[in-house]
Amino acid sequence: MAYVTSEAPTRRELSACVQCGLCLPHCPTFRLTGRESAGPRGRLMAMSAVLDGVLTVDEAFDDAMSYCLQCRACEAVCPGLVPFGRAMEGARAELDAQRPSTRRSVRKLILGSVLPNRRLIGLATFGASVVQRLRLGRLLPGPIRSPFNGMRSLGGRQSWVGREALPAQDPIGTIGLLAGCVMDSWFGPVHDATIGVLTAAGYRVTVPEQQTCCGALAAHDGHTAVTRELAETNRNAFADVDLVVSDAAGCTAHLKDYDHWVDGGFQAEVRDATELVAELIDTGRLPIVPGERGTVAVQDPCHLRHAQRITTAPRSILSAAGYTPLEIDPDALCCGAAGIYSVLHPDTSQELGARKASQVLGSGAPVVASANPGCEMQLRSHLDGKIAVAHPVELYWRALSESRLDTSSRSGAL
Amino acid sequence: MSLVSDLIAVLGRDRVLDDRLDSWTYGKDAGVFRGEADVVVLPESTEEVAEIVRVAERHSTSIVPRGAGTGLAGGAVPVDRNVIVSMIRMNEITDVDPENRTAWVGPGVVNLDLSRHTEVHGLHFAPDPSSQSACTIGGNVGNNSGGPHCLAEGTTVNHVLAVEVVLAGGEVVTVGGGAPDPIGLDLRGILVGSEGTLGIVTKVLVKLTPNAPDVRTLLCAFDSVEDAARAVSGIIAAGVVPAALELMDQRMTEAVENWLKAGLPTDAAAILLAEVSGGTAAVKAEAAVIREVATSSGASSVSLAADEAERQILWKARKSAFGAVAQTAPDYYLHDTTVPRTRLVEAMTEAYAIGDKYDLVMMNVFHAGDGNLHPLMTFDASQPGSFERVRAAADEIVEMCVSKGGVLSGEHGIGKEKRDLMGLMFDAPALDAQARIKEAFDPGGLFNPHKILPQGSRCFDFGRTVPVPDGAWI
Repeated sequence: MAYVTSEAPTRRELSACVQCGLCLPHCPTFRLTGRESAGPRGRLMAMSAVLDGVLTVDEAFDDAMSYCLQCRACEAVCPGLVPFGRAMEGARAELDAQRPSTRRSVRKLILGSVLPNRRLIGLATFGASVVQRLRLGRLLPGPIRSPFNGMRSLGGRQSWVGREALPAQDPIGTIGLLAGCVMDSWFGPVHDATIGVLTAAGYRVTVPEQQTCCGALAAHDGHTAVTRELAETNRNAFADVDLVVSDAAGCTAHLKDYDHWVDGGFQAEVRDATELVAELIDTGRLPIVPGERGTVAVQDPCHLRHAQRITTAPRSILSAAGYTPLEIDPDALCCGAAGIYSVLHPDTSQELGARKASQVLGSGAPVVASANPGCEMQLRSHLDGKIAVAHPVELYWRALSESRLDTSSRSGAL
Repeated sequence: MSLVSDLIAVLGRDRVLDDRLDSWTYGKDAGVFRGEADVVVLPESTEEVAEIVRVAERHSTSIVPRGAGTGLAGGAVPVDRNVIVSMIRMNEITDVDPENRTAWVGPGVVNLDLSRHTEVHGLHFAPDPSSQSACTIGGNVGNNSGGPHCLAEGTTVNHVLAVEVVLAGGEVVTVGGGAPDPIGLDLRGILVGSEGTLGIVTKVLVKLTPNAPDVRTLLCAFDSVEDAARAVSGIIAAGVVPAALELMDQRMTEAVENWLKAGLPTDAAAILLAEVSGGTAAVKAEAAVIREVATSSGASSVSLAADEAERQILWKARKSAFGAVAQTAPDYYLHDTTVPRTRLVEAMTEAYAIGDKYDLVMMNVFHAGDGNLHPLMTFDASQPGSFERVRAAADEIVEMCVSKGGVLSGEHGIGKEKRDLMGLMFDAPALDAQARIKEAFDPGGLFNPHKILPQGSRCFDFGRTVPVPDGAWI
């Protein structure tokens, strides 16, 4: 049996690969194993072979496709413009259809029904906060322990969902902020910073009540029906805004891909928070904050750098905040978080996480900036409290707030 | 015991791949040929490679060594049901000696990783094939690889001082050495470029080259390919040997620009990338000469890369050109032949004419400085007869180049692709001499059979490809 779903990788997508191999050194799993089937070229060859009836969607195919981190580093370096991320989501959809298993059903339930459910996430968050307060993290099973150790301290925050923030003057436009499945309850301070910065730039920021999880993780795992439903819900929830913004790079990358999942996609343009804030600094809507704040290591989330090709934005935000950004990895290899990958392939994830942490520590910076929640948790878990981890917009907002306090206290003294 | 279980006994289960999916993905390199391997192994040490050779001999199975699989001539493509020996995990860089400018490296080290690793000493590995970000040193040694900067620096053979090699019977020997003029027969010279047909290289002593104090890269745009080719001869005739001199025609430039957005002049019929390196004064003077010659040859514009970032992006444009072709057609056939530089203009014109004759879209991007042409023809393999048409045109181009005093291959190797064209270059005694060397190294025909030498190279050839098992009737 070849492919059975409408999401399957197409001849057109696959024939764009001419097997030149320039992707290989950029693929984390190829680097670790040296195996063709663990690299983009081999995976594409296998997808083509299924299309041609040479191979089937069997266990070996399942292993080869499931081992991929979907970091899309290959896509960014591909001169042939192979849409690898798309093809891989197609292959995962085939696995979902052709190789049903209990584990897959559980994942579909978690990614398709639990993540988009605010009440369940609230419950999970409460549970996690109790475990945090009682310091029982070490009792959790291995694959969950690592992401748990990477969490910020939880609890005591008001949700942004259904609220809005207004600028001091007439708004220059309305931004709809994606609350995200866990961003709102686990990374509240990042939302505070994003909303603070965007209102300071003159935007009205709303966090529409009717929105839901972006669906990125469901899409990556091949659950297409639920991915479509989530996309549709969000499209309707964000119908009245001028810009859709997300401060989680993985979500933004998927939101930018909505026209594949739902007819017409979003009406408004989608921007990552880093992209928009850098632009606002560039055009003078946001200030360059005076003062020197030392060095900061920059970690490039794959779905920011490879999927959205955004590299300068986080660096220019950090520079504008008075930091000196330090490069840690010329190849920008995945940190191993990769959505639910850290739970499904803990060994590979740990190996990549440790590698990234040592690069971060090697820079000597007292703080590392990352624009994606998954990467942040992976970094925090592997850095083990040695240095701080924050979103670039968060660091900018802190710097901006400090300088305003300075200015106001100084003007008060005058 | 079976071949696979014997290999597992040596390497463990994880590094022996015998699933259909694995054999399929190792059935191809970056070229156009496909084979299918029986089993793939991933050794991590010289001892393991020697043991693999012994196991393969015992089972009368031939061996194909493989680096990153970025070759274009089918050198790493299995022909029989071979054992593929992927050298990619032998990627250690040991004993970097900055004073003598040498390093021992594993064959699986990626070319660019080596230069990055030695950057702290102000050194790099000079051969820089376009695939350098992915290809391995072992592959470079096997193919005697070149690259844009081989114009001034020479090909891989000029940068390899010694190799450790596993020979038939699993014997391990090191040939060559750090001394400038090692005594004895130059077996190192024979092994470099032998495409894995004589043994498996397991360690390489490379010569490292100091990074130039100053580098300048010029981008010259021309209204015709012929003018650009004329400028190439003109520059060298004017006494300048640039570090690199690369030509790219319009179709190629468009494909690259569409991906990279490097700001290349897509309205030019051809662009010439010229790089000079060395002391600042010399570099400045040479850049001025290049500018002058380019302009007098009809260049419509000449610009200098303003900084290192701009220079890097120009090279990225050049080196990703082949992959970028994928945007224009499902398949391509990339050729590699050489003509004397003085005959570049006519060879280019004739190559395009051959493309037209076979009704093929032809693009060109190549090492103009050393007359190394890379005509590239796009096609769609799913169309019956299209590949045959491409092959016919390709053979005609080779014949044309050889008739102009050129050679079969500039740097990609002979592999499977050009094996049957060897007769264009070598007469029977010359082929026999090479076949006798092959036989001396590899009497059982174990290593990468059916590559480089055409059937019947050896006078009184028996056409043996695998060792005859003991006790068999012949």
